[in-house]
Amino acid sequence: MIDPALVQGIIRVLFVIVIITAAYIISTRNILSLVSVYAIQSLTLVLIALSLYTLEGSSVLLAIAIITFISKVLVIPYFIATIQERVRIRRDIEFHFLNPTTSLLLSMALMLVIYITLSKIVEGTPARESLFFFGAVLGISLMLMGMMVTFSRKRAISKVLGYLSMENGVLLFGMFVTELPFIIEFLIIIDLVILVLLTTILTVGIDSTLEDYHDRLNRFHLLDDTEETP
Amino acid sequence: MILISFVLVAACAIALIAISRTHRQMNLACIAEALIFLGLAIYLILSNQIPVSTFLIGSQYFFIDHLGIYEVLIATIVFLFAAIYARGYVEGLLDSGELGKNSLRLFYAAWALLLLIIVLAFCSDNLALFWIFAEMTTIISAMLIAILAARENIDAAIKYIFIASISMLFSFVGLIFLFEISRSALGTGTLNWTGLMQHATVFPPGMLIAAFALVFIGFAAKSGIFPFHTWLPEAHAKAPSAVSAILSGVLLNVGIYGIIRVYAIVHQTTAVAAASPLLAIFGLLTVGIAAISMLSQKNLKKLVAFSSIENMGILLVGLAVSTPLALFWVLFHIMAHSFTKASLFFSAGILHRQYRSTISVDAVDEIRDVFRLQPLAAWGIIIGGLAIVGMPPSPIFFSKLFILLQLGAVSLPALVVLLVLLFIASAALGYYVISTFTQVSSAESPMEMRQYHTPASMKVPIVILLAVIVLLGIVFTSGEISFFNQIVTELRF
Repeated sequence: MIDPALVQGIIRVLFVIVIITAAYIISTRNILSLVSVYAIQSLTLVLIALSLYTLEGSSVLLAIAIITFISKVLVIPYFIATIQERVRIRRDIEFHFLNPTTSLLLSMALMLVIYITLSKIVEGTPARESLFFFGAVLGISLMLMGMMVTFSRKRAISKVLGYLSMENGVLLFGMFVTELPFIIEFLIIIDLVILVLLTTILTVGIDSTLEDYHDRLNRFHLLDDTEETP
Repeated sequence: MILISFVLVAACAIALIAISRTHRQMNLACIAEALIFLGLAIYLILSNQIPVSTFLIGSQYFFIDHLGIYEVLIATIVFLFAAIYARGYVEGLLDSGELGKNSLRLFYAAWALLLLIIVLAFCSDNLALFWIFAEMTTIISAMLIAILAARENIDAAIKYIFIASISMLFSFVGLIFLFEISRSALGTGTLNWTGLMQHATVFPPGMLIAAFALVFIGFAAKSGIFPFHTWLPEAHAKAPSAVSAILSGVLLNVGIYGIIRVYAIVHQTTAVAAASPLLAIFGLLTVGIAAISMLSQKNLKKLVAFSSIENMGILLVGLAVSTPLALFWVLFHIMAHSFTKASLFFSAGILHRQYRSTISVDAVDEIRDVFRLQPLAAWGIIIGGLAIVGMPPSPIFFSKLFILLQLGAVSLPALVVLLVLLFIASAALGYYVISTFTQVSSAESPMEMRQYHTPASMKVPIVILLAVIVLLGIVFTSGEISFFNQIVTELRF
């Protein structure tokens, strides 16, 4: 058997990788690399699930690792990359109210706040291992960072990636806090795939015969009226 | 078995839509689907089998209780009328070229699927499963909004998807919390609503509040509660009117239904002391925002959409009072609102076809000579408007009255605030109707406007729905009362 302490060390390293990818997703302007970073982030989650599997031996974790690998490392990034090739959006330089530096600073502050809040909530309940606590903190932080991406980007496709990164946060949180039944995880993945399919197809414009294809995309901005974003 | 027949009927409908060639056939498939669903729901109610729990043998995922079948009933009725209405309405969209011929099949397939998923959502015992179905309704209804392929529609649909899905993720975190609460309290984790209700009393209130607040975010976004309501006016105003009726009459109920279920769990513990002010505050804020936005509204469909937001706020306030009587009338209000709102959107749809000025959401309606051109739609708006405001024989009068009475018993200031806000909203609606419907083109320059020939299939649903609304307000059978009472007991209020 592998030494549990080693596995815990590996998980900590993977945590750092998750943070780095999240920071990259927040700050980059290059959409093409955004997709590959998302794939790397998902792959890191797969590795975390596998490491947890060696610690706990629950088969649900193994199953989660497999479906996450197939859907989030292979299918979804491939699909988004194909769409991008077709629509030829390379850079997303328009940011709403947050520029990358502020959002990075903000996300650091967020992590601190979440750490403090969660440790207050956990206080009453039986003390949990620090690793699991960190996983939960990181999950929520990843989620909020993803939300910042969705609200601060203008292009629908980077919004989708922000949403996906949020969903990764939920998965991470779920993995460390509790063990959901497998069927639920599976259905969520299906839901996610449909959502990505639909939003990206909508991005291209469901009826491209009406207007010129690229002309339409150039005009395609989301939420021009910033005040209405909650 | 019933659940399987629901799935089979929907599958047949979708298959029929896939092979049919004309619009009429596809539409007929949708009408038939809604009719059979309605028949199944009525059969379930009359056969007194409720609550039934073993639908898929050995599974913990589905069940049907009175609240579930009640929501299914409302949904199928609204879907039935909307499908009949769509017969004429979509025909008009096809003629004017707003809806592409190739999108037609997709439109009806999504329509049939949406009804199935909504029914499955209301029959889910497992909260996570309900979450997934609710999330799918967002995606499919967004498809129905975007089907018109105008840029505004796609924008509205994408905004809807993002706001609703992001909030729903918070809900999911709340569900993970709930699962963990039940796991540490019971040993094995469960998300089954019936199981959670059984053991709710042993859950720690502090954690439960955190879970409830998170779950509330998502379902509040689904039902257009402030501050997550921003998607709603645009989506409802841009969607084809038949779809708007469904969005307002059925989909908003999905969110409220989720809130009611989770609130029922919280209500079993002392955590309710913190949860009910939360609901009340958000409810009042929602009514306030809606009422104030309605004042300056010049677009009919947007106005009606804001009125939906207002009614969701009233439901939240009623829920926050959390007495059995208040819940009773909240349930009644859900039905009354769904039917009234559907009829209003149907009438607004006819006016939209007639005047067509509202390509952009913010465009001012140029409604003139409405009584000469579209008398039925005009009266539909007036009667429906009176009903939604809560004029006496309408069912909303009774639900509003009793919710307000119950609220007054709990907190007088809240009652006063709500009354003022409701008055503002009613005044806004009245002002709109009076100022636009009295516009007549002057005798010197008679406006040349061709009358839009409204097909009978668009008129019939309005007339029937208005008749149903009046009937609901006048007749209140003992069967209805005992049915609502059963829901209240099952929710353990």
